Amino acid sequence: MWGAFLLALVPLLWILWTVVSKGGHLLLDSQWWTNSQKGITARREGGGAIHAIQGTLIQGLTTAVISVPIGVMTAIYLVEYGRGRLAKAVSFMVDILTGVPSIVAGLFIYALWVTTFGFQRVGFAVCLALVLLMVPVVVRSTEEMLKLVPNELREAAYALGVPKWKTIVKVVLPTAFSGIITGVLLGLARVMGETAPLLILGPYSKSIATDLFSGLMPTLPTMINQDRTESLQPAVDRVWAAALTLILLILLLNLAGRVIARLGSVKK
Amino acid sequence: MKIQRLGLVASVALVGSIALTACGSDSNDPGTSGSSSSSSAASDCPKGGTLNGEGSSAQKNAIEEAISSFQDECAGTTINYNPTGSGAGIKQFTAGQVDFAGSDSALKTVEKDGVVESDAAAKYCGSPAWNLPMVTGPIAVSYNVKGVDKLILTPEVAANIFAGKVTTWNDASIAKLNSGVTLPSEPIKVFFRSDESGTTENFTKYLKAAAPDAWTTDPGKKWLGKGEGKEKSAGVAGAVKGTEGGITYAEWSYAKDNKLGIAQIDNGAGPVELTGESVGKAVSAAKADGEGNDLRLKLDYATKEAGAYPILLVTYEIVCSKGKDAAKTALTKAFLTHFASADTQKGLEEIGYAPLPDEVRTKVDAAIAALS
Repeated sequence: MWGAFLLALVPLLWILWTVVSKGGHLLLDSQWWTNSQKGITARREGGGAIHAIQGTLIQGLTTAVISVPIGVMTAIYLVEYGRGRLAKAVSFMVDILTGVPSIVAGLFIYALWVTTFGFQRVGFAVCLALVLLMVPVVVRSTEEMLKLVPNELREAAYALGVPKWKTIVKVVLPTAFSGIITGVLLGLARVMGETAPLLILGPYSKSIATDLFSGLMPTLPTMINQDRTESLQPAVDRVWAAALTLILLILLLNLAGRVIARLGSVKK
Repeated sequence: MKIQRLGLVASVALVGSIALTACGSDSNDPGTSGSSSSSSAASDCPKGGTLNGEGSSAQKNAIEEAISSFQDECAGTTINYNPTGSGAGIKQFTAGQVDFAGSDSALKTVEKDGVVESDAAAKYCGSPAWNLPMVTGPIAVSYNVKGVDKLILTPEVAANIFAGKVTTWNDASIAKLNSGVTLPSEPIKVFFRSDESGTTENFTKYLKAAAPDAWTTDPGKKWLGKGEGKEKSAGVAGAVKGTEGGITYAEWSYAKDNKLGIAQIDNGAGPVELTGESVGKAVSAAKADGEGNDLRLKLDYATKEAGAYPILLVTYEIVCSKGKDAAKTALTKAFLTHFASADTQKGLEEIGYAPLPDEVRTKVDAAIAALS
């Protein structure tokens, strides 16, 4: 068993070591966290990744804001209300959505947003594609958490004459709160590291851009992609540093998920 | 308990919003390398604005320098350029996704794959789209063979290698050109651009023009020879760097940056080494072509002039002759004027490009001034 554990650890440590040793030194420079890449060419050192970090965070949060209500409410429907054909169909659709490859989600939104409506490729289009990927994750994790809530709690609430909707809002959801948050954050971590839809819908820019509805919005994955084939050392270093930044960002998110889950759980 | 939970969510939201509104800065120190020009264009700076371009990766290094120096000069302006390849650039331009396209070949006026590029661009623009030659540079036939520092190729032999007819380095046809060089018996590994590339088009145009018997397929953005595909210029150059026996065609800057061997080309007047001088000689022989302000650069690939390096590419910026938005047009004009200026063009020399000949530059300037 220990052997298997160590074996699983090897690639993880290997990746971490490679990324840290090749790009770690850039992250120690405060410029990395305060400046963008504007005006920095592949042969010049310097600049930072704040434009990409902001883009990734903004797109991640917007995606979460859209997908969490949809996902949680779908899960509530499936667990608390759903009976019969409709529930089966919804459940089936969520399964299908889970299996949609990210590039297909990206192409679908491209076909809708750019080809059909003729809009520009903007940050919000990326969010829409990411929503397609995040909703099924949120639905599935929330569903599992709601199923874990003991039926006795619901019955006790009904016995006191509490209506069903109030039971869900006041009893079921709070009990499952920590699990739901963990699921949401894991889903968020997944979409923030997503690359395929970004390649199609979110061209890179070297400047800071915070407007979701106009202009190009840089993100960490596209920043990595931009210079990934570059051979000049400054650009190569920045690619590794951006990769490390993305790993750290998602690690932080996962940790936050754990902490919130622990603090927010119902006290025994 | 409920309050505590709400507090948690609120604190997460707070931290998130702080992270988002954290003051980032777009101001990096002005570049010290390359073309830090102080031309008089500064007085023509538009007030801010953003311009998005996409296309040729052959001109990426050149346009990055031009963007960098332009943004230093005109504070508040932002120019984005995504080097996704000439084909993608033109498609995004005609789909209205970007303000200008970078391409290694002028818009096609004949139908290809059901689309006439210049018509599609004109349809989007509502006015003819103009090709403005902006950067010229040599394509280096770059190789990685241990112990071979000097390699001479004729167009015929090069065409045979890239068509997969000559498969080993010690083939008699190569050995004949390189007497005194010990060539290994290892196989030749050809790498080509897997994306639609103007470099491929220019290179195959050269092969077709200089060695029509050996290279039989039509020139185009898609590679029709043999070999293994790699994405973008940096991809093929990197692949050759890491592969013993590899050979590819890439812009000079990529060959230089990867420290690859560069073949000398013998077009019939003796082998010519790839140097600034030999490129200058070939580029200055280029003629401006095209109607009015829609400029095309005509190269003589089959030139037999002594000391002129014949494999060149020209990259164009493709813009609407009548812009859709006055502010964008002003910014486009200011940026292109800066890009075509003698100072900027001169600065490109040290990173592996060649300045536009003066005669061509004058025409480009006139065309930029005529944009409206």
